[in-house]
Amino acid sequence: MSKTAISIQNLTVRFGEVLAVDDVSVDIAEGEFVSIVGPSGCGKTTVLNLLTGLVPLEIGKIAMLGKQPVVGNPDVAYMLARDSLLPWRVALENASYGMEVRGVDEATRRDKARMLLERVGLKGFENHFPKMLSHGMRQRCALARTFCLDSPVMLMDEPFGALDAQTKLQLEDLLLELWSEHRRTVVFITHDLAEAVALSDRVLVMSARPGRFIADMKIDLERPRKVRALQKDRHFLDIYAQVWAKLEEGLGNNAEAMT
Amino acid sequence: MMRPQSRTVLTHLVCIVVFLLLWEITMRKEWLPATFFGQPSGIANYLWQGFFVNQKLWLELGYTITGTIISFLLGSAAALALGLMFVMFPKVEKAMDPYLMVLNAMPRFALAPLFLLWFGLGIGSKIAVGTSLSFFIVLANTVAGIRGVNMDLVTLSRSLGATPKQVFFKVTLPGAVPVIFSGLRLALIFSMLGVVGAEIIAAEHGLGQTLAYLQSTFDMNGVMGLLVLLSILGMLVTRGMTRLEKKLLKWQ
Repeated sequence: MSKTAISIQNLTVRFGEVLAVDDVSVDIAEGEFVSIVGPSGCGKTTVLNLLTGLVPLEIGKIAMLGKQPVVGNPDVAYMLARDSLLPWRVALENASYGMEVRGVDEATRRDKARMLLERVGLKGFENHFPKMLSHGMRQRCALARTFCLDSPVMLMDEPFGALDAQTKLQLEDLLLELWSEHRRTVVFITHDLAEAVALSDRVLVMSARPGRFIADMKIDLERPRKVRALQKDRHFLDIYAQVWAKLEEGLGNNAEAMT
Repeated sequence: MMRPQSRTVLTHLVCIVVFLLLWEITMRKEWLPATFFGQPSGIANYLWQGFFVNQKLWLELGYTITGTIISFLLGSAAALALGLMFVMFPKVEKAMDPYLMVLNAMPRFALAPLFLLWFGLGIGSKIAVGTSLSFFIVLANTVAGIRGVNMDLVTLSRSLGATPKQVFFKVTLPGAVPVIFSGLRLALIFSMLGVVGAEIIAAEHGLGQTLAYLQSTFDMNGVMGLLVLLSILGMLVTRGMTRLEKKLLKWQ
């Protein structure tokens, strides 16, 4: 059994009178790729924001590699749905932004950012401003920025949510490749079940508000995986159907609220 | 075949020439009194004389431009400093806001008689009016630009471990530059407006003073000539700022 990277115990979150997350507990092992899926508004982003420290922890316990979550924790690399590139910086400067903030020296930054930009398929675009890049390319650049950091934990909040289906598949494959090279613990938030199943070792299904984990499903698809090939794989489709069934249970009578 | 761009320029040129010709003929035939409208040949002659024969216009132009630039620099620098302070200490802004609103609502040219008393008939009072105009424009844009920062970028930076200082210099400030810059461009135009306006009210030198003098002596060719000069000046200022903006903000 490998070591626990993230441990959440009896986590409860209230926003005023509203119970957003209700008594949630889970352990995530080092190097594990875990997705959290659930209907919109179920509190999955809230859980992630607690892990980053952006939302203060009030009830329950969280340990990130044994430590309390804190904003700016160097063990954590965070990625959002929107690319969040600095529009006044070219791709290379954007890819190295995280390292810059963390005080990595300039030569190292430059080399590493170059290497990762090439790795995500942006060679030749190093000196392009974000406005000159497509959505997919911008998110590739954001991926490079995330992987430039040596953080052992990656928290991703629907990083491909805003992309079209084709680009999404490409970037999912890219993410898996990068992840297999630089093994990290990943917590991946998404509302796309197919994406969750294709990428993850485990899928946690959340119910509609108040958010609870109603299923913890092991995804035993073989690795390395090719997300595009999986789309026709019988086993993949079986698991997908199971996860979908769990999610519907969690919705109860509100099945139509699922988007 | 001519390129579309040069064709547009040509069309404009033809229109202008026709207009000037009609104007000249109207005055020569005395269909309208030239005393009230001036005439193109007279205007050209006035400008020629002013710049190349007696060369008096250079001095007046110099006064106006100097006043404009000093007003712009003073107003913008003060506004930038205060704007930054407002963002860092919102309480200061809250306390000062009503007073600033009252000051900004005041028609600045109505203050000119006061400024004349305080700063004299010379360039000082002109700079006071120009500064009072440019200051508020840059202040509003500085605050708006900094407040309008993309929160995603701030969140991301904080989660990456950026200190508040890093967030300010790497995210907030560069993000505010375009809004601040459009404020600066407007402020430069308004500085000129303030200076020329104050010169018209009372002055010893400057294009505004010259304009008022020519008007009172019924020299319509001179008045029209100065109007042409002022609009060219205004256009050059805008052009220059736009060009600078394009160079500085090529990421936009």
